[in-house]
Amino acid sequence: MGLLDGLRAVLGLRAESDARRDADPDDLFGMSTAYITMQTDLRYDSADVGALCFSGVDSGSFHDAVDEVEAILEAGREETGTDFSVTSDDHGYHWVVLEDDDPEDLITSMHFAADTFIEHGYGSRLLAAVFAYTHRDGPAYWIYSFRRGRYYPFAPRSGRERDSSAEFKLEATLDGELEIEREKEYWYPLWPSERGTHPWE
Amino acid sequence: MNWQADWGLRFRMFLTMFLLFALYIVFAGAISLYMGGSMIVFALVFGGFSLVQYFYSDTLTLRSMGAQTVSAEEYPQLHGSIERLSQQADLPKPKVAVIDSNVPNAFATGRNQRNAAVAVTTGLMRTLDDDELDGVLAHELAHVKNRDMMVMTIASFLSTIAFMIVRWGAFFGGGNRGGGKGGAGIMVAILVSLLVWIISYLLIRALSRYREYSADRGAAAITGNPSALASALLKISGEMDNVPKNDMREEAEMNAFFIIPIKSGIVGKLFSTHPSTESRVEALRDLEQEMQAF
Repeated sequence: MGLLDGLRAVLGLRAESDARRDADPDDLFGMSTAYITMQTDLRYDSADVGALCFSGVDSGSFHDAVDEVEAILEAGREETGTDFSVTSDDHGYHWVVLEDDDPEDLITSMHFAADTFIEHGYGSRLLAAVFAYTHRDGPAYWIYSFRRGRYYPFAPRSGRERDSSAEFKLEATLDGELEIEREKEYWYPLWPSERGTHPWE
Repeated sequence: MNWQADWGLRFRMFLTMFLLFALYIVFAGAISLYMGGSMIVFALVFGGFSLVQYFYSDTLTLRSMGAQTVSAEEYPQLHGSIERLSQQADLPKPKVAVIDSNVPNAFATGRNQRNAAVAVTTGLMRTLDDDELDGVLAHELAHVKNRDMMVMTIASFLSTIAFMIVRWGAFFGGGNRGGGKGGAGIMVAILVSLLVWIISYLLIRALSRYREYSADRGAAAITGNPSALASALLKISGEMDNVPKNDMREEAEMNAFFIIPIKSGIVGKLFSTHPSTESRVEALRDLEQEMQAF
């Protein structure tokens, strides 16, 4: 921390805007090496599924955007083998759920979907991209927040608890590889519903 | 990973100790110019007190903190953990004590490795999971291993002497047999000792912070799990409370506006005995990465 940063911190001028980055769908490609690190260093296996969370708008052009996302994923299914479905959750948010046992293809499809929303001018409707992992201690997710342009870990346990130790270990290990959200105030959970296991269920 | 020395840390510790001693010597010299021999007597008496404190430190500290030593039958798990970790750290098993308090905390005391005690509060055991508790216990055992009690006793002994002299000088006008220096001389002596006390106080605070970093490193070496200690620190300090419980989707609806707390400035840093949780967690994160590299 430089002297000027120090001064600003002392004066309490480090505003929220400081920590914010503009979301960039290319950040999603950061996950491709993360999959390897997660496997080799931490023994977290890919759950072969990821999802994109967005909020709907009741307008013709937005529906066109969603249709195009579906069309692109449908066309890509041949090439990447990525299965997809569009669902909605109890919170009224919508999800593009992608399944692929090759993380690279999963990420590519996710990027296509996110990019299409952005091209149609609906980037602001994107909330999060979620990548699922499994581990003997329980599931874990890397969540990319489009609001903050950063990643953070999420390790939900039964009874709406979080395994903070596991989350910390994920943060420490992937530090430098992913743009990590430093302000823990923004590590929002995405709880699954009563009957679901994943956030989008 | 073994007990790798952090040379930067060692050097700073050494420097702090050195400054403390140098300060004390300069000070003693200056004082004796003004006050003559009575200082020596005073120092001896005070030294006696310190020795008592030093030799009974474990029992005294435990009693003053309201800690009860507990048997392996009462707390089998706690005893088991401490046994295992002491073995790992190559230490004789210390006394185990429990404090009945909701505040999550722990401390170690004892003049050497043979007469050590580790105490934890009931709140700590409730708050932390097994790995996190191991991290905290290992941190306390690292204090024992580093003989921090002795280091800090010697350091605070020096600063307390300075403090005593300030008081003594202020009350008695310093029985000055230094010959005709008069009131001004006494004033100078008092001012000098005040200054000495302030400086030594700050140095001790700095030393104490370095010892904490060392103990964190030691804990990481003992458990091989820096992350667990880090999450324990975050939990204890209440930083964990910053991690939101509310679902992102609910918050996004409310479009919540956040207030960033004003971080305490340089002044707060000089006076604290412990480094900020943030810096300790930062250091532990680096250790975690070092370990992952193996």
